[in-house]
Amino acid sequence: MPEQSPSLRKELEELLWVGLGAVPGALLRWQFGVLLQDRDVLVNVLGSLILGLLLGLPYRPRVQLLIGIGFCGSLTTFSSWMVSSVDLIASGLPLAAFGLIGLTLGLGLGGAALGLWIGRSLCALAIKRSEPPR
Amino acid sequence: MVGLGAIPGAWLRLRVVNHFEPLLPRKHWGTFAVNLVAAFSLGLVLGLQRAGRCGSSDGASVLILLVGTGFFGSLSTFSTFAVEVLVTLRERRWGEAVLLAAGSVIAALLVAGAGYGLGMSDA
Repeated sequence: MPEQSPSLRKELEELLWVGLGAVPGALLRWQFGVLLQDRDVLVNVLGSLILGLLLGLPYRPRVQLLIGIGFCGSLTTFSSWMVSSVDLIASGLPLAAFGLIGLTLGLGLGGAALGLWIGRSLCALAIKRSEPPR
Repeated sequence: MVGLGAIPGAWLRLRVVNHFEPLLPRKHWGTFAVNLVAAFSLGLVLGLQRAGRCGSSDGASVLILLVGTGFFGSLSTFSTFAVEVLVTLRERRWGEAVLLAAGSVIAALLVAGAGYGLGMSDA
């Protein structure tokens, strides 16, 4: 099937880049969770910041796969955040659950916005530098 | 083990989001879908664990790390969600941003609770 091999190759390449990013991302999330017991707030904010930064920089497919989808996607987690909140509600701490939801959402959006701003500023700086001196 | 579970999780997320992209008006509903599935499943894993159905052997805790922290943790993503809400906000699509943020949180809380309850229940 000669017409199928390029798409298979492309898929394997995608898997490679995403997997290479996903492994350190997930390990880091796990270790942060074990060491800090912070219910993933820190990793979620950090990952949002990095992904926001990528959005501000020129788009590169491989970097997006490796760092964006692989690393940031695995470093951050939506499911643990929700399950942690359910766990808090089930333990009779609904206020703590709403606090966790609000805190993660607020800091995550803030982190993404900050990352985007840094990315755009870096881009603007690079363009300025590359302009020939008058 | 966490790393091993993360590879298929992240890859499946990419495939699901790409697969549904042409079918959906906006890409972020693909992320929404994987997040919901992962929230339900992780709730189920935690419920089962809390109910003492996973046993306390070393093998069981390794399996929970592989499936729970590795696979479902990587399947769902917060960073993409945050950036998508941010992008929607910057496009001044206020209603859609609120719907995406509140809808994701409320729906995921409900399904995570359902999964947790199912894991804890005797059925």
